[in-house]
Parts: sequence; C-alpha cells; structure tokens
Amino acid sequence: MTLRLSARAGRAVLIATALLFVAFFLLLPLAAVFAQAFSRGASFYLDAIRQPDILSALRLTLLVAAIAVPFNLLFGIAASWAITRFDFIGKNLLITLIDVPLAVSPVVAGMMYVEVFGLHGWLGPWLSDHDLRVIYAVPGIVLATIFVTFPFVARELIPFMQAQGSDEEQAAAVLGAGGLSIFFRVTLPNIKWALLYGAILAASRAIGEFGAVSVVSGHIRGKTTTMPLEIEMLYNEYQFSAAFAAASLLSLAAVITLLIKKLLEMTSGLHGRTAQEDAES
Amino acid sequence: MSIQVDGISKSYGSFAALDNVSLTVESGQLVALLGPSGSGKTTLLRVIAGLEEPDSGSIQLHGEETTHELAASRGIGFVFQHYALFRHMSVFENIAFGLRVQPRKIRLSRKEIRERVEELLKLVQLESYARMHPDQLSGGQRQRVALARALAVRPKVLLLDEPFSALDAKVRKDLRDWLRRIHDELHVTTVLVTHDQEEALEVADRVAILNQGALEQFGAPQAIYDHPASPFVYNFLGNVNLFHGRLLSALSEGSHSEAERPANHTAVGFVRPHELAVSREMPGDSRAVVASVERIQATGPLIRLELSVAGNGRPVTAEIDRKRYEELAVVPGDKLFVWPESMRLFDGDGASSLLLDEGAGI
Repeated sequence: MTLRLSARAGRAVLIATALLFVAFFLLLPLAAVFAQAFSRGASFYLDAIRQPDILSALRLTLLVAAIAVPFNLLFGIAASWAITRFDFIGKNLLITLIDVPLAVSPVVAGMMYVEVFGLHGWLGPWLSDHDLRVIYAVPGIVLATIFVTFPFVARELIPFMQAQGSDEEQAAAVLGAGGLSIFFRVTLPNIKWALLYGAILAASRAIGEFGAVSVVSGHIRGKTTTMPLEIEMLYNEYQFSAAFAAASLLSLAAVITLLIKKLLEMTSGLHGRTAQEDAES
Repeated sequence: MSIQVDGISKSYGSFAALDNVSLTVESGQLVALLGPSGSGKTTLLRVIAGLEEPDSGSIQLHGEETTHELAASRGIGFVFQHYALFRHMSVFENIAFGLRVQPRKIRLSRKEIRERVEELLKLVQLESYARMHPDQLSGGQRQRVALARALAVRPKVLLLDEPFSALDAKVRKDLRDWLRRIHDELHVTTVLVTHDQEEALEVADRVAILNQGALEQFGAPQAIYDHPASPFVYNFLGNVNLFHGRLLSALSEGSHSEAERPANHTAVGFVRPHELAVSREMPGDSRAVVASVERIQATGPLIRLELSVAGNGRPVTAEIDRKRYEELAVVPGDKLFVWPESMRLFDGDGASSLLLDEGAGI
C-alpha cells in the first residue's frame, strides 16, 4: 500500500520536474523570442523580415540545405548499404568515421576546411589559379554544412537496414531482378520512412548550423551569411527586434520540422515500433 | 532438370560448413536435405541456388556447369525460411515480381502476367487474398505466397529452406502433404532443407543426411530408416536403444563388415523400440535379458514401455501394439524378458563402421 502510494508520488514528482524543465528552459525562451520579435508590432516585424539582407540570408540557408540534404541522402544510402550488406576490410573504421562530425566541434570542422581550401591552405594556390573560391564563398558554406550533417541519414538507416536483413533483396535477386531493379522496387520502398526521417534531421541541422559555417563564411552581408549568421550579426549591431524577427523565422522552421518528424513517426510507425517487430507481426 | 553436386566444400573462417559433399538429384525428384543445425544443409541449398559460392567443387544443373553463375540466371525458384515476402507489396504483386523484372524481350504482357498470377493464386488456394499485404496473412498463407512467387517464373528447380519450420504442427502437416501434391502435379525437381526427420522421410523421394558438413547417407527414406549407415543416422532418425558390449566371438559368417573383428572387441548394438520383443515366458533367444517395467505410456496406437535392464546404464524403450499390450497385461513393476528381434552392430572404438546388419551376439 505504502509502496504503491510512494510510487504514485514518485511518478508525480518526475512528471512535474520534466514539465517544469521543459517550460522553463524551452517554452519560455521560445515564447520570449516571438514576444521580442513582435515587440514593435506586426508591421515592424513584417518589414524586418523583408529586409533584403534577411531575405538573402534565408535564400542562402535554403540553398545550402537543398544541396547538403540530397548529398547526405546519397552518402547515407551508399554507406548503410555497404555496411549492412557487405563485409569488407575497414568496415568498422567506416562506422566509426561516420560519427566524427558528431564528436568534433563544428568550429574545428570549419577550420579544417579553411586549412584545406583557404587561400593559404593545401589546395588554396591551385584554386586561386583556376579562379575558384571555396572559403568565404558559398561552396565553403555548403561543404561545412555537408560535413556537420552527414551522419544523420546513415545513422538512421544502418540500424534499420540491419534489423530488416537482406532476405527480401536476395529473394528479388533469385527472381531475376538486377541491382537497380532491386534497389528501386525492394530496398527503397522498405527504407523510405527511415530515409525521410534522416533527411528531416539533416535538414534541420543544415538550416540551424552556426559554428562551422561561421568560420568559412566570411560574413559578407547579402552574399555569404546564412540565417544563423545574419541573426548573430543583427544582434551584435543592437538591432534586437530585427534579430529576434529573424530568429523567430528559424524557430518556426524548427517547429515545422518537428511537426513533420512527429507526423512521420505516426504514419510510418518508425521509432514507435522497431523493424524487428514489423518482421514478426 | 537434374542437379549434380560434385565435391562441394565451403568454409567460413575456420569453420567447415561443407566438406566434400557430392550427390545427384534426378530430374523430377523431391529430395530432402536433413540434418541438425550446423550440419551444412542450408549452406548446401544456398550453394545450389547460387546464393553462396563454394570454395571448391562444382554444381551442374541438367549437365550444365553453373558453379559460378549468378543465382538469377540459374532458373531456380527459392523459398526462404522466413518467406522473405516483399512487405510493401500486395500478395498479387509479390507473385508477379519475378515476371515483372524479366528482360523486356521475354517479359509477358500485363494481361499475361495477370493471368499467370491468377493461375498461381488458384494453385496455392489464395484467390481471395490477392489484394492483401503479407502482414495480414497467417504463417501458412505467407508460405504459400512464397511458393507461388517462386513458381511464377516456371523454375526448373525449386529449392526450399526449412519451409515449414516456423509453422505450428497441424499447419505443418497439411502444408507438407500439399507440397507433395503440388510437386507431383508440376514435376519440378525439388530440394528442401529440414531438421525434422519425420518430415523428410514422409515427403521426400530421397533423403540426404548431413552431419558436420559431410554427407552421412543418401537414399530412399525406407532404405535409410531400415539400414542406417552410421550411428549418427541411427540416432537422428528417431528413437533407438543402445547396447554396449563386447563381441563374444569373431564375426565371420553373415557379417557385412569388410574387416574381421576379434572376439572381445567392443561394439554398440542399435535396436529401435519396435524391434524389441517382450514376453513373460523365457524365450528361445539367447540374447534375452530380464527387465523391469518402469513406466508405461499407453496413448496412441503403440504402447511405449520404459524398461530398466540390469547392467545397461540407461533405460530401454520398447514399443508394442495394443493387442500385445492387452495379452501381456503389463503394469509398472512387472519383470519381463526382453530381446532384440533385429539389431545393427557398430564398431565401438569410435570408427563407427557397420559390423553387422541383423542379429548378432553381444
């Protein structure tokens, strides 16, 4: 009796603690962002987010995400396919290396690219001879974003494909299907939800990335600033309302990705049920 | 289409999954590969299918060398242990898959594909399930879809990996009989892998028994059951009583053994429960011993008597029919005379060679 009572009390305490934390550390600050953004009224807000610099930053952010995410899809599929379907020397090394971007600070990642592609970097002289700019230009931002996002799709796919096994692909092969046919008719339909889920995670990270991009961007307004950089610059220039207006856009993007992610989880059964359970049912 | 397996070996690291296995499956036959887990039976099936490449040896399908050909070009149908149905496709699409991925030149028209799939749905008695997805079917139904999918491309050889292992006993039995009927109807050369000796003996024309990667015996079910070539086969094919002993005299006449064994040589006698005779009176057979009845299992057509024989470590099981059981009116605790009506004797020194096939003194 006392045990059950104390269990119930413990449950209440835990739930209350979790909710309080969420309210205090997540919801309150998020509300503050929107409150600050609209502090000078809706018309000021609309003017602020229609500034050419912010619009250009928004365009660049979306462009970078639009390049980085498909790249990660390709890499993620190739890596997970190789890891889950073949045995090869260096497989464990590859699995470990995929996690490097999660372990390395994004600032360090940015500096690595400066070291390779910068004017005084390894490839710098060759690039400038050919009139190519990577660092302080859009290609550098894309590269840095790809670097920080590339574990997402692969990490989502590998456990999923491992759980599914390769039986269906073998069955398709015995039935005479070629490699491409097997991929598009059997593999892809089976992994599409996991793939989409990984892409959502990669996209939200690509949109929000600050550190790595900050190092390689050069902060040229209207040219090489992404939204997070633009927000920081506005903030540093004491344009609080504009900064928060821009921040509210990014927050909105985050909320939307979360909603899509939740929707995916509900419709696909991903993460609610494991592939193992799917196979058994 | 015949299958010729010639000296196939395959290892995974230091583990020899198959060790120089050769056997021939005649065209139109149904052959069971039987063995405990780890005996190499599934590996052999996958080598025949082209899903694994052997380290040495060759596979010929109808006299054609196919050892290094891809699975897809061998003209085989393969049914996987867990069916491996395409989970995102309907039953109809699953069965149609092999027809749809054929090269454009030989591919059937959409209409022909539909007709062929409908024909197969009828064959596997799943006409009304065409629109369902695999996860809406029972195990037995999934198995039938897997079979229909494998048969759709009109394979010359049908290979089944533990086709009934995931099903419950009743469904298993039904599907097994049904598979045999389909086989007799289509005459497609079939190889199935199983660890269930009853299943193998009942359904197959020939049974190949594998143990630790090697072929122990290959022959017709009855021949294998009546004349097991090794103690392993004996043990694997149902219950058996073991009698350890020494030869009283050197074997000579009637011996199947190539080498003579001297008297006092150790030997193991194998006697199936139904080959043991029991009686209340002292029989003429000099091998008869006295045993006391420990337990009686009287359900089913045969009555099992568990007997303890002085000097024989483990209990001995005898099976008698109901009539004999009623004649004897035996109850636990009774003393009976027991003797083997027939017995096979194997070398006891580990060589396990057959010494004698039918009655000998121990």
